Amino acid sequence: MGILDIPFRKHRLDNGMRVVLSHDATAPVVAVNLWYGVGSRNETPGRTGFAHLFEHMMFQGSLHVPKNRHFELVERAGGALNATTWYDRTNYFETVPSHQLELALWLESDRMGWMLPAMDQEKLDNQRDVVKNEKRQRYDNQPYGDWDERIHRLVYPESHPYHHTVIGSMEDLDAATLDDVAAFFRTFYVPSNAVLTVAGDFDPERTIDLVEAYFGEIPQGAPLPDLPGETELSAVIGDTVRDEVVGEVPLPRVIVAMRIPPYSSDDFAVAEVTQAVLGTGRASRLYRRLVREKRVAKDVVTFAFPLLTGAGMLLSWITGYPGSRPEDLEVALTGELEALGDTAAEEVERAIAVTETDLVRSLEHAGERADLMSMFELYFDDPGRLNTEIDRLRAVTPDEVRSFAAGRLGPDNRAILTYVPEQEP
Amino acid sequence: MSPLDRQHPPEPGALRDFSFPAVERRDLPGGLDLRVARLSRLPVVSVVLFLRAGESTLEETRAGLACLAGDTLEGGTRRRSGSDLSEALERVGARLSVSTGWEGTSVSLSCLAERLEEALPLLVETVREPAFPEEEVARARDHALAGIRQRAMDPASQASDAAARRYFAPGVPYARPLGGTVASVESLGRGHLSGYADAFYRPGGGGLVVVGDVDADEIEAMASSLFGGWAGAPPAADIFDVEPAARTRTLQVVDRPGAVQSEIRVGHVGIARSDPDVFAVTVLNTLLGGAFTSRLNLNLRERNGFTYGVRSRFSLRSRPGAFSVRTAVGTEVTAQAVREILAEIQGLVDGGPGQGEVEAARDYVAGTFPLRQETVGQVAARVVELIIYGLEDDYHDRYRDRIRAVEVEDVHEVARRHLRPAEAQIVVVGDADGVAPGLEALGLGTVDVKAP
Repeated sequence: MGILDIPFRKHRLDNGMRVVLSHDATAPVVAVNLWYGVGSRNETPGRTGFAHLFEHMMFQGSLHVPKNRHFELVERAGGALNATTWYDRTNYFETVPSHQLELALWLESDRMGWMLPAMDQEKLDNQRDVVKNEKRQRYDNQPYGDWDERIHRLVYPESHPYHHTVIGSMEDLDAATLDDVAAFFRTFYVPSNAVLTVAGDFDPERTIDLVEAYFGEIPQGAPLPDLPGETELSAVIGDTVRDEVVGEVPLPRVIVAMRIPPYSSDDFAVAEVTQAVLGTGRASRLYRRLVREKRVAKDVVTFAFPLLTGAGMLLSWITGYPGSRPEDLEVALTGELEALGDTAAEEVERAIAVTETDLVRSLEHAGERADLMSMFELYFDDPGRLNTEIDRLRAVTPDEVRSFAAGRLGPDNRAILTYVPEQEP
Repeated sequence: MSPLDRQHPPEPGALRDFSFPAVERRDLPGGLDLRVARLSRLPVVSVVLFLRAGESTLEETRAGLACLAGDTLEGGTRRRSGSDLSEALERVGARLSVSTGWEGTSVSLSCLAERLEEALPLLVETVREPAFPEEEVARARDHALAGIRQRAMDPASQASDAAARRYFAPGVPYARPLGGTVASVESLGRGHLSGYADAFYRPGGGGLVVVGDVDADEIEAMASSLFGGWAGAPPAADIFDVEPAARTRTLQVVDRPGAVQSEIRVGHVGIARSDPDVFAVTVLNTLLGGAFTSRLNLNLRERNGFTYGVRSRFSLRSRPGAFSVRTAVGTEVTAQAVREILAEIQGLVDGGPGQGEVEAARDYVAGTFPLRQETVGQVAARVVELIIYGLEDDYHDRYRDRIRAVEVEDVHEVARRHLRPAEAQIVVVGDADGVAPGLEALGLGTVDVKAP
């Protein structure tokens, strides 16, 4: 048995909603977490950003819950709540003192079953303004703020649902109508497209009864439409493709992104470990060599995006110092991708050890345990992957990392985005 | 089950009590205050070594020295290089981080409990035997200088830095950016760092907090041996006066030509951590701008759609920190947003809060308290606060009762005492051509436009 043995049980309602319960009475806190299998990949042309705008509308009230009551009730109950939209899914969650579990179930079921009667034009216009300000604050008014938009355009072809990012475009946000809200709700916000996880301190038998009572009468909904566009992708981009921005950024930055196997692939674990060897921690290759030894980079960042459709993405960026030449940064970074061919066993061991600590620590939050279980159930029908995830990483060998780097991180699979500070007058 | 009533929120179940984890207190040789709390849900541990090596004791010309010394600690010890140190830590899956604030330096370690015996000596070595190699000092300094350059181009940081200069009189440490200025950081060399570490990385007045799946006796034995022979205390800190920069309202625009949004800050000097009003002020701030359903957020976001969000905050430090409202709004609604912010503050001063609002804010602060103590790292941070600010041992045990005891009149009273809209310092970082005319038209005073 591994280091983790977090208990869980599964249940399915007649309307197709999947339920995961994970009991832990250490703290008088319970997390309620809902994943819907819809994200920006489901958006049709001309409606980019809609899945996220819709997420905002889910807080604008439902038949029995007036606008703002959702936040008022949860905050008043001593709870915390939020929601996020991503490429493949949208999640809604609240963590509340355990005696307030039923409140969270009531609120979540009311908007899953009875959202539309509460919608009106004024609410849509208000949240459209809020989202446009979110886009300005987080993307348009930020140095490097458009990086993910540009990277996605390079890594995924125009016909692919990941070609556009979650925030979408201002024009498409302007075009959204109440009819779009209704159609999106009826198509995607159905019990058969949802996973509900309850984690923390609760009575399992009573909770099953409550979930049945609150969610059981919501009609099942039709099967989901196919994803728009072309979802098949070749394993590599096919070339080194580039974009460059000369503009208002303080320091030069080079971002390299590569297609990797989708999250559902067994090889995704190899990508994750490779990413960690490259950039997790100060003993990682990029930090040790580029930040500490050669001092060409001020900082380095790497991620492996767990995306489901066609291909995931491994991304690495380095930020230079004032006056660094972008071409030197690029050579330094791509040089390290190529040098992964000599990855040693101890590097792989270190990368896994740090990843393990980070994973175990993240599970201290009931909300995080619930979120991961919802994800593993929605994506893989297996919330127990929470306990076995670390074994998947431990099984990765140095040989696999080396051959992954050779096959997937070469010049035929690179999108390179460069930011260059504007010359000062 | 009885038939479901969807019309009304369900009644809550029976409240389960929450207690802050029990903390064992021991004295270590050298005056280090050891506190250990056992939390064994998961096999993890969080360690924080707090030292009285903060930025607020430094002269302005040396601003950033404590931060730079802290940042350079990962550069290696007398026994091993920076890379060797990182490898040794990561081999056992440990994360070591250093964070420096106004009050002191916290060196934090997190790892699996079974690895603590291997990881803790590395933390101690990092702090007791720093080598500050020349090339690592130069790197950390370049890094800090590049960071200052990044802040100067990030509108949110620009606004916060400009606001601090408007809130606090020149010479008050809080008026300057925590990490120092280009001039002060450029003047720092290896000699300053090692001299600083020698004087300030001392056990006196500091503490070691260990939270997780551990035993206090074992920790005490381990720490006594690792910290044996460490002695001394940092020089005592002067208690400085916190004067405001101005006692009248001022309005400053920092020009960012073409900006699509304005970063707004509105505030003034607030209260110290030790102020007895802190509980009423916490409730006040929650209903003004500390929660989603606060007056400011419901107005600016949910009613007007001006912003993605707005928050207010009292920064609680040893000496009075700032009260500050922060938001980012569209250029065209900047003046209206400033007007609404001032109106909401004035409204609380004049009319006070409603009974329902105070109850909701109290319930929110008291109710979410357990949610903020879910992890070993969060609990360790709470325990470190006891040491930093000299709070009673049972402070966290009594916290929720003190919040629940706050009444409407208390909140109104602290609103009158600690909110001063007539003295508000208003800073807008945005497109001056777009925002200045509207701000002038508010009639709040002359708009001072600063070039970027």
